[in-house]
Amino acid sequence: MRDHLHAVASFPDSSELPPVASPQQGALRLAVIDADSGFVHVLSKRLEGMGWQFRSLTSAPPLDELVAQRLNALIVDPTCLGARGWDFLEQVCSALPGLGVLVCTGRSTVAQRVRGLRLGADDWVTKPCHPSEVIARVEAVARRRRRARMQEETGPLVVGELEIRLDQFQAFAAGRSAELTRREFEVLQLLVDAQGQVLQREEIYQRVWGYAMAHGDRSVDVFVRKLRHKLERSSPAWVYIHTHFGIGYRFEAQLKSAADVLGEEPAAPDRPPGALADPATSA
Amino acid sequence: MSLLRRSPVLDTGIFALFEASGSNAQRACVLLRDMLQDFPERSDLARDILKCEQDGDRITHDIIHRLSGNGHRPEPHRFGAGDLYSLAKRLDDIVDYAEQAADTLVIYGIEAPMEQAEGLAEVLVQASTAVNAALGALRSEGELQGLLVEIHQLENEGDRLSRDAIAALFANGIDPMVVIRWKDIFELLEEAIDSCESVAHTLEGISLESR
Repeated sequence: MRDHLHAVASFPDSSELPPVASPQQGALRLAVIDADSGFVHVLSKRLEGMGWQFRSLTSAPPLDELVAQRLNALIVDPTCLGARGWDFLEQVCSALPGLGVLVCTGRSTVAQRVRGLRLGADDWVTKPCHPSEVIARVEAVARRRRRARMQEETGPLVVGELEIRLDQFQAFAAGRSAELTRREFEVLQLLVDAQGQVLQREEIYQRVWGYAMAHGDRSVDVFVRKLRHKLERSSPAWVYIHTHFGIGYRFEAQLKSAADVLGEEPAAPDRPPGALADPATSA
Repeated sequence: MSLLRRSPVLDTGIFALFEASGSNAQRACVLLRDMLQDFPERSDLARDILKCEQDGDRITHDIIHRLSGNGHRPEPHRFGAGDLYSLAKRLDDIVDYAEQAADTLVIYGIEAPMEQAEGLAEVLVQASTAVNAALGALRSEGELQGLLVEIHQLENEGDRLSRDAIAALFANGIDPMVVIRWKDIFELLEEAIDSCESVAHTLEGISLESR
């Protein structure tokens, strides 16, 4: 395995490193697996100028070696790994969920791109491409990872009677799971993240399903209906998802009036309706 | 206007079978529409549609058996046995395509319906209702022509909806799996509607021959 070191000539041992370098602290730690020496050379020049820690490989390293390098992101061209390119991609994405993975390769079919992204790649760039675009995409992947990490670190989000746990992809009411599927949770998370803004169906579809919504597709309506039903079942005194006819949906926790909840005494709200309370900040 | 003027030798049994076949086809189409409107919650209706498909096969078999004379000399009909055989097969096709569409929704793991599919299913219900009424008119020598025109118009409407639906799938950025799944389903719904028109063509031929 040929191994080229750039910028900070080599990564120091992990024992000497502070916790994983985060994007906001500046330089990223990046590895590139690519046999295209011209592309790697041009990219490395840019990265040196930015002060990023950069390692170039022409074959797949053992997974434990990648783990030890504590990378922020990996750029990989699966074609240089031959027949085991897809397996390697899957193994890396599965073993290192915190690692941003960007596939940068030559012309490919839709099926190959779909497969790569479904195996866990965060992005796919087709060569020939400009190194600035590759770097910008790595930064974007790192930003998304950082946001996800921050959300995990801030703990569950509490809104109305719901406790939304990103780490479990689940919502709870009074400690009981709402039994949301992965996709239902993703729709919920997107609506909650919008902080009371109305999201159009097309936008919800694009961001949850990852593709443009076909005209007439009722997937968003169906998943919102299922989600609403499960939230209603878990937390009957509250309304969480509001329909804006002809547009889309908005998330806002509102206590139902007593007339709406026959036979049940609604609990007094402990915060203004719709307030998104985070126990980490409201405590 | 009655197109059926030839002095009949009625085999009332076979007309009852055709009416049962028409009702069965209409029921399958109504179930498919209801299943699509509330899919996937009503995916259980696929079982009822499969039952219709099995009933349709049984009725078709009974018709063919009766046309062949059940081992005896066939009963005379005022219509040709070939036309009636063709009519029985076309009626069975409606149920077969409806059942295939329902089955495909389940097999392909469809997450939610598309509006265009609901529109096509509604047209299919109207066409199968007109087919059922036309079969009743065949026995009673009632008004047939208006029903046949209605079926042709519904088939044209189905063609238009199907073309628009497939065109919508090929807009930029749509998930290729969505395209593959729904193109198949739209085509099956259109085939079911086309089968209603084939029934209308056969009935038209029968009515012309019986003048």
